[in-house]
Amino acid sequence: MPQIATEELPEKLEKQSFVGTLVGESTSRTFRLAVAHETIREQDIIAVDVDLKSTEQNSIKQKTRLWAKVQQIERINPLFPVEAGHELAETRTSPFDTVLSLSREMVTAVCQVLGSEPIDGSAGGRLDHVRYPPQPASQAYMPNSTDLERVVIGELGTKQSRALDIATLSNRPSVTVKVDGHAIVSRHLAILAMTGAGKSVTARRIVEQLAERNYPIVIFDPHGDYTGLADVEKLKGKVQRYYAEFPVFEEESETVAKVVDTLGYELTPTMQGVFDDVFYAAKQFFIEDGGERKRREQWLALLLRRDTIEQYGIKQDMWLVGYLAEAGERIVQMKADNEGDWQQLETQLQEWGWARIDTYSRTDKRTIEGIKKRVFKAAAALKRMETTNKKVARSANPLPINRLELVKYGQISVISLAGYTGNFQATIYTIIANSIFEAKVRDELKLPVVLLLEEAHNFVPGKALTTAEERSIAITKQIAQEGRKFGVGLIMVSQRPSRLDETALSMCNSYIIMRMINPADQNFVRRVIESLGEDEAKMLPDLDVGEAILSGQLINFPVLVRIKKSESQGEREEEDAFVALENAQKGLEMEQTKQNGNSRRS
Amino acid sequence: MSENNGQDYHLTEEGVREDLQRQPYVLMRLVENAFIVAENLRGNYFENTSKFIKDLRKKILLAKSGESDPIISISNINGANWQEVQGEVVTFIDGGVGQVEISGQIPILLRVGSYAVRTGERNLAEREQFGYYPVILGDLEGGSKERKDFIDIVRITAELLGGLSALKRTPNLRLLMFHGPLMYLMGNYAGHSPFTENDIDLFLRSYAANPQLASDLKNKFLEEARIQIYPKLAPGVDTDMIQKKLFDPLAWMAFLYQQLISEAKKRSPVPIIAGVVERGRLREFSEDVLLERIFVSLRKKNNQNYFNNLFGRTDLKTPGILLDRLAYTDAILMAMLMKPGQRSESWIINKLKGLRTGQTILTGEARATNMDWSILKDPLLGFPKIKGCYISVSDRTEPIRVEVFECLGEQQIEEAAKRAYLYSLLIPGYGFPVGLDVADKFAKVPTWLTNAYSKLIKHHLSVSLQKGEIKDAEMRHLLVQAIYMTHRDWLFRPNP
Repeated sequence: MPQIATEELPEKLEKQSFVGTLVGESTSRTFRLAVAHETIREQDIIAVDVDLKSTEQNSIKQKTRLWAKVQQIERINPLFPVEAGHELAETRTSPFDTVLSLSREMVTAVCQVLGSEPIDGSAGGRLDHVRYPPQPASQAYMPNSTDLERVVIGELGTKQSRALDIATLSNRPSVTVKVDGHAIVSRHLAILAMTGAGKSVTARRIVEQLAERNYPIVIFDPHGDYTGLADVEKLKGKVQRYYAEFPVFEEESETVAKVVDTLGYELTPTMQGVFDDVFYAAKQFFIEDGGERKRREQWLALLLRRDTIEQYGIKQDMWLVGYLAEAGERIVQMKADNEGDWQQLETQLQEWGWARIDTYSRTDKRTIEGIKKRVFKAAAALKRMETTNKKVARSANPLPINRLELVKYGQISVISLAGYTGNFQATIYTIIANSIFEAKVRDELKLPVVLLLEEAHNFVPGKALTTAEERSIAITKQIAQEGRKFGVGLIMVSQRPSRLDETALSMCNSYIIMRMINPADQNFVRRVIESLGEDEAKMLPDLDVGEAILSGQLINFPVLVRIKKSESQGEREEEDAFVALENAQKGLEMEQTKQNGNSRRS
Repeated sequence: MSENNGQDYHLTEEGVREDLQRQPYVLMRLVENAFIVAENLRGNYFENTSKFIKDLRKKILLAKSGESDPIISISNINGANWQEVQGEVVTFIDGGVGQVEISGQIPILLRVGSYAVRTGERNLAEREQFGYYPVILGDLEGGSKERKDFIDIVRITAELLGGLSALKRTPNLRLLMFHGPLMYLMGNYAGHSPFTENDIDLFLRSYAANPQLASDLKNKFLEEARIQIYPKLAPGVDTDMIQKKLFDPLAWMAFLYQQLISEAKKRSPVPIIAGVVERGRLREFSEDVLLERIFVSLRKKNNQNYFNNLFGRTDLKTPGILLDRLAYTDAILMAMLMKPGQRSESWIINKLKGLRTGQTILTGEARATNMDWSILKDPLLGFPKIKGCYISVSDRTEPIRVEVFECLGEQQIEEAAKRAYLYSLLIPGYGFPVGLDVADKFAKVPTWLTNAYSKLIKHHLSVSLQKGEIKDAEMRHLLVQAIYMTHRDWLFRPNP
């Protein structure tokens, strides 16, 4: 029988740190631990001191600390028959009132080996692969917080500049968990969770940490989750909030026609044929030269009898397309009626870019009129979206014409997309992401940047249903695949992971996964994320708000943590619905009282 | 079958057959019997059994209403509910044997487990207590190890000591329940060589917290043996046996039974002491009570050929012959006569019929000595009388038999039956008191332990062979065969 030499006996463990004894068959990947009641919890990280040779030939045995994670705890009372349980239930009898045995329970923990390090911790938290199983009957213990922190952080311990302080161990709140910021910004991160699980708080915490290191961040914010970043004292001056205007003239006419369609004002096939001319004319009509533009505005205001055009000027927006359509309609009508100096007007418009205006007849006038009506309606709808967007963004800054201004040392650019429908959001994102990525590829943009996509499933859906989605998927995939080379990172935040594009998600090398109830999402996550273990995946529906599993390159090994609170708040921090109702009613009553007071005085 | 005519249907052959179909274990027993009974009984074995049971059911019903001679009384187990037994301390005792396989199964060690529980107690630490009494058989000097029932006398002795220990340590014990008969057919175990004092010390090692109590028990036996038992049990060698401090296994067991009873009688209320038997093969109740009364009744009515006519034979004239020919047992017949929740009337079970004169070899001697174990039939000196009854727990299981000491009072059997039934209701698929199941699992010698012993023994034998310590050629051959008949094991590899 193998004997344990006295000098090989494990060090005497402190009673309070002792958690169990290795039983049954152990392998270099897993072992089972007989444990006392409630000494450990699932996802706890424990240690076992073993004497093992290193993998080098002829090496001598050395004291090694083997680290493991408790994957599952099994609790069984072998003296309590299942059948008896059914009988008790049937007769509504308490087991305590019977002669059944309730005290003899066996608790076994199934542990996953994480790796090993020299017993003195001299490897700086780096864990080696274990190639030989630990000895049965070895004692497992709960390591102290310092040791635990060292291995959770791993090699990051020696690279503190890139360590982001985002969490504590869920089962050991005294242990801080830092993650590798370099892995996040260079090799992409996905934050996946159901609504209310704390994903935006997590994302904000990461953003705050990156901002402390002055890393340029561009956030695409569909719901105003990141507007509160500007209120954080230490981020003052670093956060720029932008409202987004749909860049009509950066799109093809076909796309803009579809936008009009999408907004619910369908263009007939005949109209679609003419729309191209109108759109091109509008595009040409707008010029940067202020003096010349003014002259054109006056001309247009006079023709259309719209003083507002002269008053407010024209912009590169949908209204301008509508004005050009109306101008075309008017000139064609005058030509048909041979009214006034239609020839001069026609020639002028031709000069300014509507080359084929002279080809339209009276019958085309109705088509142009149809386009005008639809475009004006679409422009009004778009205006509504822009207004909402501005309101949520709490900013007067429109997106800079030069997109590269979004990327600055130490700046967080929050682009509000609130108010826009999915297609508009996708389009705005695509245009900006494209500009930044292309500039990086061409080396026109020197600084690295990380793009944060909140509600990423809207930008990178698994299946594109519209052209806008097709294009946003394409640019995201490109960044996911090549971004690392050019210093463009992605943080994708989603509450519906199963709707995300599988390739884009699998290109993320780091994951923060939080509470997730939807089975489709769970299965998808389990399938796509290789570093996520089966047992961890099973925990997803049971995680608390703020709890997360960190997995992938941002951490030494998958670990269950509680994310630290972010300093900023989002626009959507939920207020109790009933409290909100009472507050609203009080407001109304105060207003009423005020009005009554005023009327008495008058 | 409607509920209105349920009682009548129960008294028809179809009703009996339907009952049989609901009781698979009875059906299986009858199928087995149908193969072993005489050829001319096989053809209509089921049909005739159904007819017999139908008539018997009718007869019992008529007897109940006074319209016929009494056959057996079957009563409902009333008042079996948990509320009534709250706050009771109950101890369950069971023994387990660990056997190792070399070329055949060899018993190697034994342990008796006890499980004590107080019903209604919410505090787990107060509620349950487990104990065990291990005995390594190789450590014993006495007993006839060559006999197959050597393990039985060791187990019975250890179980009795476990029970006695539980009774002594628990002043408020309400029920002491053994797994198996409260008393075995003791005559079968006569003739074993006596245990030595060392053996008894081994048995008593876990008996009492205070070693003095164990010593007192041992000396008390020797004193009683010197004065009353050995002079009659072993005339001529009694003094020698006392001088050598030899413990005749049966006399020692009888003494332990008396100690149990004496301790119980000191208490008020008297604790219930019972044994519960599953899958019993006894036919005594059928022979001495049930069929005996039927034959008397038949003879009274000049219908003594009822069974011969029914089965087409001429030799079925006594209960014994009938049971021999038809292979019925108590369990089979009572399963067909009782419904779940019922118990049979009780009867005094004859556990001592084999106790007679015989021979044994005293420890350390070569020649046999004459003994007279019949003196242990005296209930005051030897084995007490045992009373038993059958209980039907569920349709799915055989009736269980409950045994108590007759001398502890009339209430013992009623109270023991009630609790055995109540405890069994928790595991109707097994139909056996759940507390005994707990003790059984606790007492069971785990396979890993016996396997480890097996490997150790084989290893040592192999080393001895290797070193040439075993010279005898035939023995060497046998050992090699014994060791390597099983799969090759890494432990047998030569030491590096």
